[in-house]
Amino acid sequence: MGLEPKSAGPRSAQSAGFRLRAGHARGAVVGARVAAKQVLELKLEVDLDEPEPGQFVMLWVPGVGEVPMSIADYDGGVLTMYITRRGRVTGYLHDHVREGVRLFVRGPYGRGFSAIERGRALLVGGGTGAAPLHFLAKRLRERGVDCVAALGFRSAEHAILLGEMARLCRVEVATDDGSMGFGGPVHEVAAKLLSEERFDAVYACGPEPMIAAVLELARSKGVPFEASLERYMRCAVGVCGSCVLEPLGLRVCRDGPVFSGEVLSRVEDLGRWWRDADGRLVPLR
Amino acid sequence: MPRLEVELAGLRLRNPTVLASGVLGLSAGLAKRVEEAGAGAFTTKTVTREPRRGYPNPTFVVLEHGYLNAVGLANPGIDYFCRELREMRQRLSIPIILSAGGGSAEELVEVAKRGVECGAQAVELNVSCPHVSGMGVELGHRAEEVASAVGEIKRLGVPVFVKLSVHHDYIRLAEACLDAGASGFTAINTVRGMAIDIYARKPVLSNVYGGYSGRAIKPIAVRVVYELYEAFPDAPIIGVGGVDGWEAALEFILAGASAVGVGSEIARKDLGLFKEILEGLEEYMEREGFNSIEELVGLAHRS
Repeated sequence: MGLEPKSAGPRSAQSAGFRLRAGHARGAVVGARVAAKQVLELKLEVDLDEPEPGQFVMLWVPGVGEVPMSIADYDGGVLTMYITRRGRVTGYLHDHVREGVRLFVRGPYGRGFSAIERGRALLVGGGTGAAPLHFLAKRLRERGVDCVAALGFRSAEHAILLGEMARLCRVEVATDDGSMGFGGPVHEVAAKLLSEERFDAVYACGPEPMIAAVLELARSKGVPFEASLERYMRCAVGVCGSCVLEPLGLRVCRDGPVFSGEVLSRVEDLGRWWRDADGRLVPLR
Repeated sequence: MPRLEVELAGLRLRNPTVLASGVLGLSAGLAKRVEEAGAGAFTTKTVTREPRRGYPNPTFVVLEHGYLNAVGLANPGIDYFCRELREMRQRLSIPIILSAGGGSAEELVEVAKRGVECGAQAVELNVSCPHVSGMGVELGHRAEEVASAVGEIKRLGVPVFVKLSVHHDYIRLAEACLDAGASGFTAINTVRGMAIDIYARKPVLSNVYGGYSGRAIKPIAVRVVYELYEAFPDAPIIGVGGVDGWEAALEFILAGASAVGVGSEIARKDLGLFKEILEGLEEYMEREGFNSIEELVGLAHRS
């Protein structure tokens, strides 16, 4: 059985019974360690509504800022996130957050992955894109779905979640500099896997050019595809319009962040355009 | 079948729902979805002369009875937005109302002029945003300046609405604007507020102050619409503030609104909110024996 077909039109999957909690939930940092070069693994004990793999949270550091963050795990009330140093807020988290610090979260928000019930799944991750795929792999394994994870990183030093993923799936690694596994882009590993093995679903998260490449591969093989996207966000609940994808008018925070291959193949922004804080489209870096 | 069509200052709306300014309003793709969801008209997010990046996050937080935001009038500036407006006109058949913002009458006029050139069928002047200094409520306090902008924009040949705030002497401002040729009013903008997280022991919004919206402000908004209708029964009003269903929409209409803005409650009900309102209105009208929305406008005023 493949992924359930998704209409490409407007969806309001959450219109009925969508629960919005007021304010932020407070959490205590119970783990903060450098997991890889420029990547912080943050564990936060926090009471949330049970997230689905692929959903995200807004992480607030009072006095510093708030950023969307994907969920690598939520287990026993502990939320795990992998945070790349990028801007003001993530830089602060890297430099100042230690065990015992209090942080704040709202969410989970958005539509997650639709995990297949049986068969075999291919997970393709780039960088910290591996994080939501880890949460998904756990769900797939609970259902008895076999998985292969192709994970790409800049170098061996940048690799995250290899041990954790290896407990759930067969793992194939690619690095840009060849310091671990295949030397080259991870979508080439995915291409080889897709040509040699049979999969019932392909899931991807990472840089958009990689997502676009894997989408093409999955389409050419006729395998259902889903990927998680990222955009500049504000409200995270679908009202401000900051994270919209054109020409379909899809809100990454509410209609996504996970979209099906059928939808993504019609998103002209994919791999090309990023919407800046002022709403202008700028080339995706 | 009861008729939902309404006439709003010369604009023909297939029904009285209007997407309120500030939500979902910068992209043609989203505008199209709002039309498909059932809206009778679409108001853009407020656009200024220059691009604005807005405030850093947190800019929005869900509260127990509403929403608090201080996005900071983020927008791409009217020159860039012109393309989007043209595309909206190409793809949409419902009227597009440009929400124009600025720090002076001159800027409002410039933004409105360019917006109308690019396809906007009406202009709403945002002189009531509660969280951007110099651009919102403060401008609205200078009734003569707003009125002079109304007069100039009126010459562009499109309806001009002035968006009012409870922070204004809104009856005086409304009167000055009507004298200058305003077509009608949008009431109300968000109400200035703030939220403090008791464990962070800090304001939640990076800007500290924000605009409070959602169903908690509905009684305040209904009151302003009622007062405006009483004072100026011939001026059409777009009633906005916490519309979360058909009952709320009806309250505004009975208070005197010809159309009803739908905004932040989309966070809870998503775009399905439009259809819910329209079906509810139709059923109510059938049940209660009304043939058109016009029969209901301001009905609460009559004995």
